[in-house]
Amino acid sequence: MRNAETGSTVDMELEEENTVQEIIEGAAGYWEKDSGAYVLRKGKRLLRGQQTVLDAGIGNSDDLELIPDPEGG
Amino acid sequence: MNRPIKPGESDEDRMERSRRVGWIDLDRIGKSRTLVIGAGALGNEVVKNLVLSGFEDITIVDMDRVVLSNLNRCLFFREEDAKRRSFKATALADMAQRMNAACRVSGMVMKVQDLDEGVFRSSDVVLGCLDNIAARLHVNAHCCHLGRPLIDGGTLSTSGKVQVVIPPDSPCLQCSMNRTHYRALERRFSCTGSDTTFFEPKLAAEITTTSVIAAIQVREAIKVLSGREDRCLHHLLRYDGLDNQALELEVPLDPDCGLHRRQ
Repeated sequence: MRNAETGSTVDMELEEENTVQEIIEGAAGYWEKDSGAYVLRKGKRLLRGQQTVLDAGIGNSDDLELIPDPEGG
Repeated sequence: MNRPIKPGESDEDRMERSRRVGWIDLDRIGKSRTLVIGAGALGNEVVKNLVLSGFEDITIVDMDRVVLSNLNRCLFFREEDAKRRSFKATALADMAQRMNAACRVSGMVMKVQDLDEGVFRSSDVVLGCLDNIAARLHVNAHCCHLGRPLIDGGTLSTSGKVQVVIPPDSPCLQCSMNRTHYRALERRFSCTGSDTTFFEPKLAAEITTTSVIAAIQVREAIKVLSGREDRCLHHLLRYDGLDNQALELEVPLDPDCGLHRRQ
């Protein structure tokens, strides 16, 4: 898992039934992120929050990136 | 027989250099109606680009007033506007109108949630320049329901995004949201039972990133109105100004998204 804002990385152990939302919240909590909106990227694809690890096709040693969703205008 | 030409006449045409681009349909752009929702930093830059690009009928919607901290990134606002607490929508419309007398730029001071559906219906393209998720969801729902192209921009510090929604086929803004978006939305409108408190986070913002995002939004609007949807952003562009990176990301259409189920 990569933090898009800082470039720092951490390994994350996931089960097939974990959802993308849980991954986002776990990573945001680990990096003590502000309480804003975040999305998760795998390659060039944003992952839907309700998808599970299995649905999203996340496999061993895949790189995921946690990205803040810019809310400002 | 062709009309005789005169030396230097090309410099007498405001849009002459734009015509040289070739694929831009200036006639359609000039006749189109454009709705800009949000008159903050993105709204200022977007409206500037629209007027310069030949858009002649622009409606701006915003409920807020100008404050001094807007002036690091809002081209059209002045210190006098902050002192007078001018409404952003009308201050922006007045200044934009001065750029080209042929334009009709109007400002509507209201929450987007109070905007008549007819305004959406009569618009050819909608540019989202908003600063909160609730308003984005509202605009997104109306555009999807009425089949109006929506080009949404967002910024945070030196990063930003642009998402193009062309109903009914495109994934919409709601398709890319998850629980963190709804939690952010809940924090903004916190109801204690006896009253509702509004939490407005002060987000990092600077003009260079705003300019980039606004420029991309308007260029996508030009493509939509010029019949070049085939060259539009298919989904979402993420821009990182610190690392000079731009990445087009695919947003999967959410089969559970109510806006698509109805279509």
